Amino acid sequence: MYRIRHYIRPEQIREFSLIFIIMLAVLFFGTQIDGYYSARTFNRIAASVAIITVLAAGQTLVILTRNIDLSIGSIVGFASYFAGQQLSANQDMHPLIAVGIAIGFGALLGSVNGLLVVYGRVPSIIVTLGTLAIYRGVLVDYAQAKTITTDMMPTWLVDLPRVNLFTVGEIEIRVMVGVAVLVVIAFQLCLTYLLLGRRLYAIGSNPDAARVAGLPARRIVLLAYILCGALAGLGGFMFLVRFGTITVSAGVGLELSAVAAAVVGGVNIFGGAGTMFGALFGAVVIGTLEQSLLRMPNVSEFVRDALLGLFILLAVASDAVILQQLRSLWARWAREARETPAAHSEKESGHAS
Amino acid sequence: MQPILKLENISKAFPGVKALDHVEFELFPGEVHALLGENGAGKSTLIKIMTGIYQPDSGQILLDGHPIKIGNSAQAQGYGIAAIYQEPLVFPDLNVAENIFIGHRVKGAFVDWRKMYREADDILARLGVSLDARSQARGLTLAQQQTVEIAKALSLNARVLIMDEPTASLSAHEVEQLFNLTRVLRERGVAILFISHRMDEIFEIADRVTVFRDGQQISSKPIAEITRDGVIQDMVGRKLESFFARNEHEQGELMLSVRNLGKRGIFSDINFDIHRGEVLGFAGLVGAGRTDVGLALFGVEPADSGEIILKGSQQQIRSPEQAQALGIAYVTEDRRQLGLTLPMSIAANISLPSLRKYLSAVGIIRRKAEQATAENYRQRLSIRTPSIWQEAGKLSGGNQQKVVLSKWLNTEPQLLILDEPTRGIDVGAKAEVHHIIDQLAGQGMGIMLISSDLPEVLAMSDRILVMREGQQMGIFNREEATQEVVINAAMGQSRSDVKV
Repeated sequence: MYRIRHYIRPEQIREFSLIFIIMLAVLFFGTQIDGYYSARTFNRIAASVAIITVLAAGQTLVILTRNIDLSIGSIVGFASYFAGQQLSANQDMHPLIAVGIAIGFGALLGSVNGLLVVYGRVPSIIVTLGTLAIYRGVLVDYAQAKTITTDMMPTWLVDLPRVNLFTVGEIEIRVMVGVAVLVVIAFQLCLTYLLLGRRLYAIGSNPDAARVAGLPARRIVLLAYILCGALAGLGGFMFLVRFGTITVSAGVGLELSAVAAAVVGGVNIFGGAGTMFGALFGAVVIGTLEQSLLRMPNVSEFVRDALLGLFILLAVASDAVILQQLRSLWARWAREARETPAAHSEKESGHAS
Repeated sequence: MQPILKLENISKAFPGVKALDHVEFELFPGEVHALLGENGAGKSTLIKIMTGIYQPDSGQILLDGHPIKIGNSAQAQGYGIAAIYQEPLVFPDLNVAENIFIGHRVKGAFVDWRKMYREADDILARLGVSLDARSQARGLTLAQQQTVEIAKALSLNARVLIMDEPTASLSAHEVEQLFNLTRVLRERGVAILFISHRMDEIFEIADRVTVFRDGQQISSKPIAEITRDGVIQDMVGRKLESFFARNEHEQGELMLSVRNLGKRGIFSDINFDIHRGEVLGFAGLVGAGRTDVGLALFGVEPADSGEIILKGSQQQIRSPEQAQALGIAYVTEDRRQLGLTLPMSIAANISLPSLRKYLSAVGIIRRKAEQATAENYRQRLSIRTPSIWQEAGKLSGGNQQKVVLSKWLNTEPQLLILDEPTRGIDVGAKAEVHHIIDQLAGQGMGIMLISSDLPEVLAMSDRILVMREGQQMGIFNREEATQEVVINAAMGQSRSDVKV
């Protein structure tokens, strides 16, 4: 039986334990909310999860390097507003160019974060807490309290949220979900197979050793911030697509959802460990909880936030317990495997030593 | 007279090392007792047992003739045992008085500031130092910080004070002041355990000298009965173990010349050459600056003066990246912190500095090639592991060291800096590492071997450079370098006596 420990590590099973948590949550909300099990609920949750997933993917890249990016909520808001403004001014713009504008704008803001962290030698939590406020402030000033509304958008954009990729039974898998899954797969491949991925893990798990090994640590951290900004820009575009209406407070609080998703998904907040699939599962947990609590009858906004926090803590805590159990199980199996051959010769002294 | 503290038959073993082997040790009130020994002789372990950081495997500790157990530092304090170290442990944001009374139980919920300052002033006055109890600890000199620690010990009514290389970073004047404090304490009946590598200081302050070697007490005599040569004899009296014998090989052309290399406050005026196929040993006590020279050559902590001439052209080495490109590799002393990324696999650790070699045309890491390299080194250096995909953190010390070696050999260096390559690994692995060093030199690599293991340096090096407190004391040929000569230079025999 304990041969499987050679092929699967506890950390890999842990990602599946999240699926279990998601199922529990869904069963619970099913009893509380009328008509919860419907394609409509799924689409609502999926649209929210898709955006959180993309943001969590970016956040994961930064967290892997033992840093954090708290500014992405503002980057989402600014990028979506900026892209929306360009689209309303130029209705014939090619969709890919519009996406490119949002991504490029996000990357620009991300590079500011990265440069400050890397060359300013200010702790990333301080830098991005600052830029969180700065980007939002500049957006408010730039927008001059104007709101981007759906009727200013080209029709392709307004129709985009309902574009179907394929249908499973009654459930439609829409283009936003496809984008999120694509991002996760692409970046997971990068983490596994590219130089960048290996270096991100190396820097996060032991920055000193990475420096002595001659890795260009600064450039890699900067790149992580640029990619995180770019993904926040993409998230901003998805935000624009999903809501159509963009105010200056668009995307407020999304940074916390993204960080929570990454951490719930098993990305080590101290860097060096975590996967994109983990972040995806984390985003599903967070998105499901957020959207379902929104539908709960008789739950005020404030109670909702408190419940969300409670659920996140529960998810992380139960996850930690499960992981610990699995690890000790694996260690026991390894011990038993070691002792089995010796048991024949030293039956009595085997345990004493 | 009864000793305050008596250690009877104390033994302590760590995996692979017997740190203390049936040690007897006594401390009498009103004496300054110097403890001498080479690196790894067991001094630190003894201190840690006396301060409750380690528990002895066997033997007992007697305080005033009664057996006690020292479970942790707080208990040690309770028994009146205090310690000060080379690097004082003060809280920079608190003021002097707060630092002195930090460990005391305060009665009531509120701090009686006036009383605290009064008592602090009182203690400082008794020590005869002028230090404002209200000044912040940040900004105090090292010597002043030590004074604060001594005051703290006094405020705790310490009866045993351990001073672990307290003079290592002090100026001559500050040392004199510290000695005055020490004499004050001695007159008050405190038993002082004094550790220093400076012979002159020992003869100035100590009443009694105990020498440790390889975890055993070798001698313990009053200062009047000892001589400098006798002490050194006791310290090194170790037989050269049957070390791996170097194979004879030709020395090649000049590879590296270092001229007047210096780094402010750390080392200065370092001069040496390394030829292809040559092993240049670096001997000296811990903290002599040998590692710093290695770090400077590898660009981790670049030097700020002097020249590095590599294969005929002068180089400014500013980063490890650049050093690597120049064909230098550095196997660090601190395996776990700087050498390996412990959660990553053996294969990933080996390929980390040279990952570019494993990229395919489209930039994907070729796992097969990576695996082949790792398997190759696993065989060549006999790294014992079930799989090269195992986490590096799960290997034994010796095997971890082989992974670090593999990682750097894989960058195909011409100059290899080895910093304590066999520290903390078992005898078998040690012999294997020595064999590898010999092979690499045979292949024409230039090797800088920093080691505190004297027999190892003597056996493995073609020439030996000895450092002391950031200064180069001399370079000795294989023939002239004996344990006595090297230890003498490392402990500060004046330069004129040393043949260069």
